[in-house]
Amino acid sequence: MMVGILTGFGVALFGFVWQTSLGGISRKVVARLQKRYGPKWYQEFLDIFKLLSKRATSHGWIFDLGVIMALGGIIATAAFMPVTNDIFAFADFDNFFIYVYLIAVGMLGMAMSASGSGNPLASIGVMRALTTMLAYEVPFMVIVMVIIKHAGTSSLRGIAMAQQDAGMWYMVALPLGFIVAFICLLGMLGKKPFETYIAPAELASGPMVEYGGKQLGMLFIMHEITVFIEVSLFVHLFLGGAENIFVFLLKYFVVYSVANLVSNVNGRFKIDQVVVFFYKWILPLAMIQAFVALYMNGWWN
Amino acid sequence: MDIFTNVEFIILLTLGFGVIAYLVGRYNKTAGAFATIIGTAITFLAVAYYGLNGELDFTADLFPAFSYGFSNLGIFFAVIVSFIFLMVSFFNPYFVGKYKYPALYSMLFMFSLAGAMGVFFTNDFLDMFFFFEFVVWTSLFLIPLGGSKKAATMYYGFSAAGSFALLFAIFMIQKETGRFNMETAFAHVFTTKQSVVIFFLFMFSGFAKLGAFPLHIWLPKVLGKAPDPISAVFSGGLEKLGAFVAIIGIIRFMPMAITDTAGLFAYLNATAFLSNGMTLLQLIIGLLGAMTIVFGTLMAIRQDDAKKLLAYSSMSNGGYILVAIVLMDSITFSGGLYHIVAHALASTAAFLAIGAVSRQTGTTKMSELGGHIHEMPITYMVYLIAIISMAGIPPMGGFISKWLIFQGVIDKGLIVIGAATFFGSIGSFLYVFRPLAALFLGQQLPQFKDKVKEAPILMLIPLLVLSALNIVTGIFPIQSMRFLNINAVLNELGLQSLVFNGWTIAGHNGGLQATLIAGMFGIGVVIAFVLFMLLKKSKQVGLMDTYTAGNFIYTEELLHYSVDFYAPLERLYEKYINIMKNFYKSLANKVKEFGRVTKYFFFTNKPEITVFWIIVVIAFLLWGDIV
Repeated sequence: MMVGILTGFGVALFGFVWQTSLGGISRKVVARLQKRYGPKWYQEFLDIFKLLSKRATSHGWIFDLGVIMALGGIIATAAFMPVTNDIFAFADFDNFFIYVYLIAVGMLGMAMSASGSGNPLASIGVMRALTTMLAYEVPFMVIVMVIIKHAGTSSLRGIAMAQQDAGMWYMVALPLGFIVAFICLLGMLGKKPFETYIAPAELASGPMVEYGGKQLGMLFIMHEITVFIEVSLFVHLFLGGAENIFVFLLKYFVVYSVANLVSNVNGRFKIDQVVVFFYKWILPLAMIQAFVALYMNGWWN
Repeated sequence: MDIFTNVEFIILLTLGFGVIAYLVGRYNKTAGAFATIIGTAITFLAVAYYGLNGELDFTADLFPAFSYGFSNLGIFFAVIVSFIFLMVSFFNPYFVGKYKYPALYSMLFMFSLAGAMGVFFTNDFLDMFFFFEFVVWTSLFLIPLGGSKKAATMYYGFSAAGSFALLFAIFMIQKETGRFNMETAFAHVFTTKQSVVIFFLFMFSGFAKLGAFPLHIWLPKVLGKAPDPISAVFSGGLEKLGAFVAIIGIIRFMPMAITDTAGLFAYLNATAFLSNGMTLLQLIIGLLGAMTIVFGTLMAIRQDDAKKLLAYSSMSNGGYILVAIVLMDSITFSGGLYHIVAHALASTAAFLAIGAVSRQTGTTKMSELGGHIHEMPITYMVYLIAIISMAGIPPMGGFISKWLIFQGVIDKGLIVIGAATFFGSIGSFLYVFRPLAALFLGQQLPQFKDKVKEAPILMLIPLLVLSALNIVTGIFPIQSMRFLNINAVLNELGLQSLVFNGWTIAGHNGGLQATLIAGMFGIGVVIAFVLFMLLKKSKQVGLMDTYTAGNFIYTEELLHYSVDFYAPLERLYEKYINIMKNFYKSLANKVKEFGRVTKYFFFTNKPEITVFWIIVVIAFLLWGDIV
């Protein structure tokens, strides 16, 4: 158990370092896309450590407590994440629902802290973040439900290994579901058609508006680990997980980069458009995929 | 202390305390309210201690007309409901003074507890109906003390419809089995078409009491308008009577054995429908449960009154309980039972926290409040823990129950019901966050500055106990389930036991180790806390010292965002919210019209018409003799 716990926090640390580096690289990629030179690949690290070392302002105890709860919740979530078939913290407890719900503790902490700052822009950001969540989470869960039902397990590693054994990724087996889940992933990552809740030019970064110094630094760490969890989840669910660490890094890199590129050629939806988009197009697609996969598989077997 | 093991004595004692509370309350209202604390405490201790140890005595000596019988399900419900009454009773001394009839309030409070205990312990359907009505009539007079007569009439209307459905079902059962006894009825295998009718009547009654779609209209009205402690009692306790009836209906009277049927009834029982072993009947109830979830969630999101918001949330959670029960799968069913516990604890804590705010500030409107975390930090933490559980986030009890429910929904491959449960689960983040942000966070409004204090210590006791239990049910679910004998309840209802492997609950597609999750969360928070403390200390600034994009703003209201929080989302569905309300309104109009027609024909002041009807009636009565 002790080894498991330590491995878990190792995974969280690894996720932070890897995602932060990758974040730096994608900033460079985006810069080239926009014909700029771009910052160094380790710029994100510099930003975070600079923030952590600066003296900041605080808006009361809930402002601080929320940040601690946010980072703590996300670290705990990442600790359950398997990286490859062999690198994982807890063999039997990498249950899908843990990620969906434990990640919510972190989100709640952040929302609480942001609202506690007393800035209306932060509250509007939180409102939009929660609304976006209501939009993307339901279709995503419907697709994951199909995967769990098909694989017979909700363990992420089990789902990944089932795909490896069958030689068929769910990306291919559930093509519609893959599209749905990828669009939902864009929503989860707060990438551009759905980045309404950050909207820098409109809301002054939404929930983040009041933060500076160590609180902002910790929220940056939290954000990087959150992205790590969400993209890894996607890799395990749809791309057959990873036999070894290099395969994992490669798959992760591809998913994140594609999401990043898609994001950078898109505009931004209004918040009601986000909801309508997901409930008008994405949820029916997910339902169709689920219906076909669950009730019509007898037709060609 | 042997006498306390007797169920009849417990019920009579509870009634007796009601009378005492009334008499004492006539002279001193607060003393009367304190009597309710003592009364509920004794009832709860007796029911929980002897009930969970299996030592209750069910003989009825004084009133042999009533008979009681042992059932694990009854004890499970009795423990929860009496506990909720006990927790709420601590609020009574601070609230009775506000109401017009404080002594009556204390008495009815105890009486409705006695009625609820009767429902859970009796083994005779007719007695059950009696106790049901007893609860309805006592709680009926508690509701208008909050100031709304309309809520009480609505409650009575729906409750009466539910009760009469139950009565019809009981008579039909009696016709089949010849007795009112429950065991006889449960043992009887219903093979005729009537069993479908019995089932639907039971479901109608359960839906009406639980406030499930489409019989939900009364619930938000009552919970929103009733006195604050009564709202908590309804949400955590009395509403669960509906779950009790629904469980009996689904588990005992689901028509499984109809043999001589054709047509519609055959379809209702077709299991091969979706190749997942569910009958059409189950799907119908499940879909209604799903609609309850979605409807409750959408309505909760757009409320401005915190109590009404929690009322709709109760409705949505009732939907979860229905979905969990109707799948008839042991894991999901245990999830449903655990959800009853988790929701009772969380929802009561939330209602009481809002009640505390309401007592200190005089309102529950979210648009009028703000920043109370600075005066009421303990109430805030209680509310926070309660909503974490309500939203189904670990490490609280709600997560365990939702996890168990999802197991069955996924295992059966129910797409629409699944989507609805996921929607309700995510939607609950939205609505529970709303009071958190509007009541406690945000700017400190000047009209409340230095005027509001933390709730008094006696009110904090139940709040803290409920919070502790919210956490305990989340961290130690296996121990909690063992404590409440959940496996005994499952076995009694003909379902398999839930499997525990050490600290792990076994589900359909993996295990759940709640303690590990909570532990990791704890360690994660400690790491974050250490990191936070190691870094440079922050400078404390006021709430008005915020980024305003260069505008100069000096009034708190302008920086407080709490009115129409989810306006962009609400706008998308606000056209459709009144569909059910309009349906009932037009139904009421039709009834009124029919009444007017009847009145026109029968009750006029024209003598010739009256004479005409007298002749018709006499002719009808004498039909056989003359012709």
